[in-house]
Amino acid sequence: MPSLLILVPLIGLVALNLPNKDIMRKLAFWFALGLFITQILLAIQHHPVFWNYQLEKMDSFFRVNFSVDHLSFIMLLCIGIVSTASLLVARHTIHDEKERFKLINLLIIASIGMSGTVMTSDIFSMYIFLEITAIASFILIAFEKNIYALEGAFKYLMLSATATIMILTSIAILILAAGSTSFSDISQAVRSPGNNIVVVAIGLFLCGLMIKGGVVPFHAWVPDAYSAAPASVSVLLAGIVTKVAGIYTLIRTITAIFGLDGATRSALLMLGAISILVGAFAALGQKNMKRMLAYSSISQIGYIIIGFGTGTFLGIAGAVFHLFNHSMFKALLFVNASAVESRLGTMDMDKMGGLSAKMPVTGATSVIGMLSAAGIPPLSGFWSKLMIIVALWRSGDHAYSIIAILAGVVTLAYLLIMQRKAFFGKDNESVSEAGLGIKTASVMLAGVLVGIGISFPFIFNRFLAPLREIIHR
Amino acid sequence: MSGESWQSFLTFGFFIVLTFVCGAYCLLVTRNMIRAIIGLELLIKAVTLLIIVVGHVTGRVALTQALVITIIVIEVVVTVIAGGIALRVFRHNNSLYIGDLNKLKG
Repeated sequence: MPSLLILVPLIGLVALNLPNKDIMRKLAFWFALGLFITQILLAIQHHPVFWNYQLEKMDSFFRVNFSVDHLSFIMLLCIGIVSTASLLVARHTIHDEKERFKLINLLIIASIGMSGTVMTSDIFSMYIFLEITAIASFILIAFEKNIYALEGAFKYLMLSATATIMILTSIAILILAAGSTSFSDISQAVRSPGNNIVVVAIGLFLCGLMIKGGVVPFHAWVPDAYSAAPASVSVLLAGIVTKVAGIYTLIRTITAIFGLDGATRSALLMLGAISILVGAFAALGQKNMKRMLAYSSISQIGYIIIGFGTGTFLGIAGAVFHLFNHSMFKALLFVNASAVESRLGTMDMDKMGGLSAKMPVTGATSVIGMLSAAGIPPLSGFWSKLMIIVALWRSGDHAYSIIAILAGVVTLAYLLIMQRKAFFGKDNESVSEAGLGIKTASVMLAGVLVGIGISFPFIFNRFLAPLREIIHR
Repeated sequence: MSGESWQSFLTFGFFIVLTFVCGAYCLLVTRNMIRAIIGLELLIKAVTLLIIVVGHVTGRVALTQALVITIIVIEVVVTVIAGGIALRVFRHNNSLYIGDLNKLKG
């Protein structure tokens, strides 16, 4: 019944927008919270009764082939947790009830799009769900309608539309080669030799996905969109939207369709290494907290790409695990940025200082997020970076593993700069702790980071070891 | 591929390339937001035409028709949002010049 994860929010969305809006505005938050928490529980449990049971009437009505494997479970879990955090932040940063209602609607649409993207096994449905996510994100970035938000949204829209054109051209060529849009049919056609035009299709498709994911040569929109968006939206965007739209789809299409041959592999390793370095060094010079976190996001995405580029089980499991961890700690750092923004009204780090004394929860969770991002044991970020570096070393790419280790030092450097400027030092302002929702979100995300770091062997056996199935297909 | 379908493929191919080049040129040269959106539209039109031709050549007409209708719907939504953003920017800046969109730096 995976189609219920799309259908229930869709029906709920229609019901919420029925004429009697006063009650619905109050209900919307709880409805969305219920949806996201149900999704988290279903993804943790992965009970076969729910996931494998076929509802014949509904599935034939839907005409979309959903197939859920362990990679999808991890992504669904991620989507649920980050959407919950974003929802909690929205409740305490947007005070007008009408505006909040609009934002919650768009949030549900974005989560439908993302859940669909990670469950589908058909290249065209994947495109449709990607576009649903992208359209919801355009409106969400431009939500505050000031000139900064409009600029960020316009840049994202133009680049995302360009990516869409590349993906569609590639889909057209793949239909020409395979005569179908399902992953398995295209995979057979692609792997049969003597099909030179397919190489063009693969290149275009991967370029399109990298634009959406913000990998380095295509990263120009990332800092603008993240820093212009309202607080709760930058949590969602940085936490999960770019990962699902760019990185998950990259992993899925390469493992299920195109195959990781030598050329793709070296291209991924090189782009990953460039992303790590450019993102880390650009983050060092930032004054705006959200822009610094955005560049840090580019750098961490480089780690995911480089880990995936090894092509071994350890590397791919490390990449997926780092994708999950990165969602968690980047969402946490953005939640804390929004807590600071809601109290100070600025993101300029030179104007902050000593916030830790006045905002103890925000300060403490920010330290956890920062240490996890820098890869300090026993937090979860350490394990995923370790897996990626060991995989790189074992597959013989010693230079890349050294780049990955050294960039970890730079990561620690810029995060320490942020921490020192914003949270430590002497305070000169009278601020109070952020609202309850923001505190709940940051404590929840910090708890996930610490919990996963400590119970890593259990997590590895239950969630990461089954990922073997996506490589040996 | 039979001779007839190859012939139609070439005819359509000429117009696909023409539309694509027009759109790409428009997107690269213009400094006006509305014209940039029109350039994007032309590119999507070229790709839509390509998918129709691919359906004709491979004989999977039903599949590609469904795809084309979906693409048209999504494309309209994207264009409306882009137009809305352009309208807001015009009200704010009193111009549609893309060079004015340079407030976010760093």
